[in-house]
Amino acid sequence: MSRLVQWPGHTWLALPIRLYMGGIFVYASWHKILYPGLFALDVATYDLLPLVLVNLVAIILPYVELIAGMILIVGFRTRTGAALIIAMLLLFTVALVIALARGLDMSCGCFASQTMEEDPITWMTAVRDVIWILLTFYVLIFDRHGIGIDRVLEPRA
Amino acid sequence: MFADLGSTVRESLVVVSIAGAAGLFVNGFLNPNGISIIAEREYEVLVPCPEPGGVVTPISAAESLAGSEPVFWMDARSAEDFVRWHHQQAANVNYDYLDPTPDEIIDALARRIARSKAQRVHVYGDGDDPDTGEQLAREISGKGIRKVFFVKGGARTLKDQMEKNR
Repeated sequence: MSRLVQWPGHTWLALPIRLYMGGIFVYASWHKILYPGLFALDVATYDLLPLVLVNLVAIILPYVELIAGMILIVGFRTRTGAALIIAMLLLFTVALVIALARGLDMSCGCFASQTMEEDPITWMTAVRDVIWILLTFYVLIFDRHGIGIDRVLEPRA
Repeated sequence: MFADLGSTVRESLVVVSIAGAAGLFVNGFLNPNGISIIAEREYEVLVPCPEPGGVVTPISAAESLAGSEPVFWMDARSAEDFVRWHHQQAANVNYDYLDPTPDEIIDALARRIARSKAQRVHVYGDGDDPDTGEQLAREISGKGIRKVFFVKGGARTLKDQMEKNR
């Protein structure tokens, strides 16, 4: 197992995944940061949080997405960024599955706030999230000496 | 593999704290679309919950009047429209898009249908798109009433057809 983890090729395999996942999270955060009111409505629609937390989550979560995405892109504290993105994706997936199980016809609220017709939640959305979780897990576990700021700052042997 | 799990968790908490501070600052002082930290009132969230709609068959006004089987007629329009004109045997159950028809009314209807010995239920509504007749037909069919049909075109078409048949 440790030989598998140490394989140097992981760095190059993980790089496009980092850029892809980082890009997705930076993109996803943008509209939410600009229009927190619309995102708060999306959060409220899931009907999982008490009202007192809805706006707070709508204000803070997009910045966590933005910073975690940028961390993955620039490769600084890469594993922290990957861990945060996995945690967020797990939360999103649980919320999505609960909404689907309740039979709610609603917009995902994953990216720019869209109508139900443009961006409905489906089981495929949950599958997509699971694939993203697996990809980010790969970065978390195998990208030990990632290309980016981490490598520049790494003490040389 | 998870030797540095502790430091990853610590760094994650730092990132969340920084994100929280940045989010609150930008939302409070820089973003013209900023919102209050705590919502002052409930969000008006309108998510259509799936009602157990049953299978219904559309029929033309001519077909609805032509059959020989005893029919139970239902008018899904408002009470005012019902007073203005209705099929002489129709029962009025106003279909409301926001409030499902209460179970007691459906149960009472089911008893009336059974007593009437009707073999089919014909529902007509406003004939709009969506049609209240079709919606009510789906609703009662979903509650277990069988052989429910709705008249395409609603009350207007049915009235025209009845006048034509005279």
